[in-house]
Amino acid sequence: MTRIIVTTSGKGGVGKTTVSANLGMTLAKMGRQVALVDADFGLRNLDLLLGLENRIVYTAVEVLARECRLEQALVKDKRQPNLVLLPAAQNRTKDAVTPDQMKLLVNALAQKYQYVLIDSPAGIEMGFKNAIAPAKEALIVTTPEIASVRDADRVVGLLEAQGIKRIHLIINRIRPAMVRANDMMSVQDVQELLAIPLIGVIPDDERVIVSTNRGEPLVLSETPSIAATAFENIARRLEGETVEFLSLDSPQDNIFTRLRRLLWTKIV
Amino acid sequence: MNALLHIAELKTKSKNLSSLVPTAHSLLPTPLSFGWYCMTPDYAISDFNSDASNAESISNFSNVEANSTPGDAESNSVIPNPEVDSVLVYLKSNSEPTEDEANSTPSKDVESNTVADVDFTVLPLLDSTVNNNIQVQWKSESERLLLILPTESQVPPSEVSWSEIWQQMKLRLKAGDRFRLPNTPVHLVARDRLLDTRQLQELAESLNDVELQLKSVSTSRRQTAIAAVSSGYSVEQTQPESTLNLASVTAPQPLADALYLQMTVRSGLEIRHPGSVIILGDLNPGGIVVADGDILVWGRLRGIAHAGAGGNRECLIMAVQMEPTQLRIADAVARAPEKSPMQFLPEVAHITPEGIRISKASDFSRSQLSRINQEP
Repeated sequence: MTRIIVTTSGKGGVGKTTVSANLGMTLAKMGRQVALVDADFGLRNLDLLLGLENRIVYTAVEVLARECRLEQALVKDKRQPNLVLLPAAQNRTKDAVTPDQMKLLVNALAQKYQYVLIDSPAGIEMGFKNAIAPAKEALIVTTPEIASVRDADRVVGLLEAQGIKRIHLIINRIRPAMVRANDMMSVQDVQELLAIPLIGVIPDDERVIVSTNRGEPLVLSETPSIAATAFENIARRLEGETVEFLSLDSPQDNIFTRLRRLLWTKIV
Repeated sequence: MNALLHIAELKTKSKNLSSLVPTAHSLLPTPLSFGWYCMTPDYAISDFNSDASNAESISNFSNVEANSTPGDAESNSVIPNPEVDSVLVYLKSNSEPTEDEANSTPSKDVESNTVADVDFTVLPLLDSTVNNNIQVQWKSESERLLLILPTESQVPPSEVSWSEIWQQMKLRLKAGDRFRLPNTPVHLVARDRLLDTRQLQELAESLNDVELQLKSVSTSRRQTAIAAVSSGYSVEQTQPESTLNLASVTAPQPLADALYLQMTVRSGLEIRHPGSVIILGDLNPGGIVVADGDILVWGRLRGIAHAGAGGNRECLIMAVQMEPTQLRIADAVARAPEKSPMQFLPEVAHITPEGIRISKASDFSRSQLSRINQEP
């Protein structure tokens, strides 16, 4: 049974594409056959994040126009043979495809792959409708900001109306220090409002920007990072494992904090 | 002639508004019994008010212009430019009873364009009544469910509005899941809406998903009837409702049955119902509930609730946790205080002579409310 999952958020710039790229890569590393579908026609980015831009020959639009076969349009990842990308056309707009055509494409991919991850564009217009049409599950990405959470709330409503019942929440770019200082919405605040099950919390990490610019997903990097671990945990939870949430609340472990903690525990 | 009508309308409107103003505007932030300070409806209501007085000031301004002759040196020196003039008139209109203002406006100023403009800005504020039929309704009627679609005059036909109707229908269906008996026959009241076989088939399929069966269709459109017959449903042809008659109906109608929804009203969703609304779940910010009766939220109320939208000031808004964006009862508006309270208790919002107030639910009783209302 193929899992068809759409990554969406409503608001732009919260990290949908980054989440899609990293999750796809992690699942592929775990040995799953993964197809990533870029549904952001006209503003495609997923290929950049994966570093596959220069390998694109055909796009989804050419497949639909029967100018090429679906297999020809799929871009294989050079580092991870289990992962393929179906790129979106850059020279068209969101109206170039219809929800029915998206269903057709995704269902064709579902024959061969275990996971089909659809990267949705921002907004709730045609592009969004295209992206959610074939989906059976959804991942809502939100940052702990009021605008992003509000938009996520609207999108959850639209997904529910569409009949997508399995909806999970990813809170991206959280800063534990700011949450502790009460300057940022906490995970609980967001969850309380959206009332959908949480599947992952990703801390703010500068290395995400670096990896994005290099076109190399963070989870492929040699040096471990909390953000990469968070992505791996999400992938494992998608697979059905129960994984403890990362404790982001602990302050940075340097020698001073350790010493201080030691002292405090002695005193109290 | 048209402009004349406009000003006549404007006058009645500004009168309406000014009759509206005292109730809500005579607000002094008197501390309430409960920790939550009473919600002062200053912001939104003063908007109503300033609009009304603006309307008057502008129409008055044109009046002053017309009256001041070139030889009137005094008025020219004292009031050199029209802006100051209008400010003075504005102040005057604020200090004087509003009826005088309306009376003093001479009818010969009818042709001034500003009046028509003002009319335009005033209009949307008055549009606060529930249009009972613009939403999809589910009703149970002797062993069958009625699915009532809005008429085409209320929601013009197009692909977009069909998908909106579709979404509404699905959400409402989901929100009442628990109480539905499987295999209940559904009767579709399509009214004058044009439906093709594809739409009927979609409808039947999604009803099948929740174990409901579309059995019959009533419609006033011949094409819809043909589509329904060819899909195998029994059809009732009804007489088309004439829009002329609809417009003239002003008789008060009894409230509809309460609408019970088990759902989270999320941002962007608008629930309208010509009766009371009960929500088992949260009303999130960005969500709106408009009811002709009471609104009861068994959860957090964080969006906008409008009770008694038909004008009934007795209506109440109740919530387990009250942190609204805005509360409206009949023609009064209130917004939440800037600082939210530290702890929440179930609360009731009701109208007092000072505007909308909130009381702790355990303190609130009908007798108390009627006592408050009887005080001058």
